[in-house]
Amino acid sequence: MRLSFPYMGPTIVYAKLFELLGHDVVMPPKPNKEIIDLGVKYSPEFACFPFKVITGIYLKLMDKNLDALVTSGGHGPCRAGYYGEVHKKILQDLGYDVEIIVIDSPRDDYKYFYEIVKRLKGDSSWLKVAKVIKTVYELTRAMDQIEKKIEILRAYNDQGTINRIWIKAQEEFHQIQTTAEVKEIKNKYLNKLSEFEGSIPAENERLKIGIIGEIYVVLEKSINNQVEEKVNQFGFEVERSQYLADWIRENAFPFIGKDLEEIEKKGEEFIEIEIGGHAQGNIGHAIDFKQKGFDGIIHLKPFGCLPELVSQSVMDDLSEKYEIPVLSITIDEQTADANVLTRVEAFLDMIREKKYREVM
Amino acid sequence: MKKTKIGIPRALLYYYYFPFWLKLFDELSLEPVISDNTSRKLLDKGVKKSLSEICVPIKVIIGHVLNLDQKDVDYIFLPRFHSIRKGVVFCPKIIGLPDMIKHSLPGLEAEIIADQIDSKSDDIAQISNHQQLAEIFSIPKKEMKKALTKASNFWQRYRNLLYQGYLINDFSRLEDLEGLEKLISKFENEKKIPQSQRKEIVTPGNEEVVDIAVIGYGYNVSDQYLNMDILNKLKEMGVRIHTFSMVAAEIIEKELSKLRKPMFWEFTNKLYGAAEHYLKNDQIDGVIHLTAFGCGPDSMLGQILEIDAKEYDKAFMTLRIDEQTGESHIITRIEAFIDLLRLKKENN
Repeated sequence: MRLSFPYMGPTIVYAKLFELLGHDVVMPPKPNKEIIDLGVKYSPEFACFPFKVITGIYLKLMDKNLDALVTSGGHGPCRAGYYGEVHKKILQDLGYDVEIIVIDSPRDDYKYFYEIVKRLKGDSSWLKVAKVIKTVYELTRAMDQIEKKIEILRAYNDQGTINRIWIKAQEEFHQIQTTAEVKEIKNKYLNKLSEFEGSIPAENERLKIGIIGEIYVVLEKSINNQVEEKVNQFGFEVERSQYLADWIRENAFPFIGKDLEEIEKKGEEFIEIEIGGHAQGNIGHAIDFKQKGFDGIIHLKPFGCLPELVSQSVMDDLSEKYEIPVLSITIDEQTADANVLTRVEAFLDMIREKKYREVM
Repeated sequence: MKKTKIGIPRALLYYYYFPFWLKLFDELSLEPVISDNTSRKLLDKGVKKSLSEICVPIKVIIGHVLNLDQKDVDYIFLPRFHSIRKGVVFCPKIIGLPDMIKHSLPGLEAEIIADQIDSKSDDIAQISNHQQLAEIFSIPKKEMKKALTKASNFWQRYRNLLYQGYLINDFSRLEDLEGLEKLISKFENEKKIPQSQRKEIVTPGNEEVVDIAVIGYGYNVSDQYLNMDILNKLKEMGVRIHTFSMVAAEIIEKELSKLRKPMFWEFTNKLYGAAEHYLKNDQIDGVIHLTAFGCGPDSMLGQILEIDAKEYDKAFMTLRIDEQTGESHIITRIEAFIDLLRLKKENN
């Protein structure tokens, strides 16, 4: 099949998955002003921002002769789980004849899930599928591992130098075929990065910011105004609550790894039950960041995001109780780079000042 | 002995369930106190205490909670509606409402009762849905069960009248149980038929009557302040009004079963089923989607309905209300819509 998918975070991972299964993969375009404008034009006004971005990406892909678009589903109550159905409707209404394959959890509709897996698997054997999944999962983990290092080192080194290493690593990861190659490239770049480790100051002088929020705007740099790099630029380290490997693990292999679950459970103090999206988990991560000695939290969310509005509502109380500064930034088609930069800068200045006074 | 006062905010699910709660508290010898009708002052207070980009219904309920707190109630009844159908839940903001209230209104003096509602149907009378309530007032299980059954039966009578074509607004101004009981009995025994079913409707200018389905949640369609009393305005213009609560559960079920994947939100699904039914119905001249600023589920539903309306060639209009909607803008839009429908009718 000739297929494509929405652009989110390290797209290499999805490309690799379908490529290794023998499909003809068309890389989706990276969101930019043109795509966002296109998406906004053909999406409902109050749809969340990721929906609009994805509409734009799909429309941009329409002249690529695709057989199908593959996207993830969900069982709500976050709207993201219903994107696929509404996108189908919009594309159809505009006269495009392309299939959207929504990967829903097998728990929701087993037969449908099985049909889809069979189609995506194509001619590959089940053993091959298992191997591919393992490779891709290892690839995601390797990339996350390197990115976590980057997010620390960029705070103390020339941004360009570090970014170039990261881009190179991604290019090389794009070429891999086997799990062994993933390991090889991972080690190569971890070694390369360890040369910079001398730049990290003593523990009590390090300043750290945790980024939490809705997964799309947290993972996708092209729409969150490169918030991480902005924070790094002022000499602060960054860690996110969301990495792609975690998301894959939670959704595809829920039986392994309880550590994440434990962090997310901490959110129960403020949001008692699951309300959809990652709201409860994000609150848990905010508390966890504080307990790990982070100096501040940046909370990213798309305009009108249902679950994150609940977490933002309880955030003031959390900030007071746990004595950790929180900056909430709403992202949509009107977010201006300078606005984000100014707010981040003011926020970080305040944190630095506070720390400085504490030391004196 | 002075009865314990329990405040019920006149917002969100109140409009769907208030007869149930009034009866229940009466049976349990508790004194329900209902917040005032939404007003400028009440809404302003809610707006001040909530996030600017949150939807209007949440701003409204925060205003009502603050209003209750000023009435010296001992408790505020704010059940956490999670699910009233297998596999379908409520909007995240409704599920997380008690959390938002507890953590964003720290000055609240009344205690919040937030029993989690998990039911298989619209009937929420299960004892598991009222455990916190029973515990706080040490109500024995047997007594609780009895009260719940009575409340449920009373609510069913109200619900049946809605199915027959009465509007929630026909009841919701009443807040004492006695008056409500009388009204329900009166409607049940009366020969008069509800407005939505009447053949003859007299209009001021003897214009032709038009049938409009107003698709919106109970709390938007029935809050007369918030929606600028749109229903009465429509009635005055000679419109027979149809709403989702008049559509039989089986019809909604049938429409939903046609979807590969229904939506995740209880009342959004109900609106979808009802709207599809009305879009296909020849008796209906037009559909108005009445939605509130910032409503997430409606952004999805609205898009689907807009495309479907085109397919069925039915007149469709989206009317969005928010905390600063001007009255004249609503009147202008519905007048224009109705004029067009009448013109279309005459040309046929």
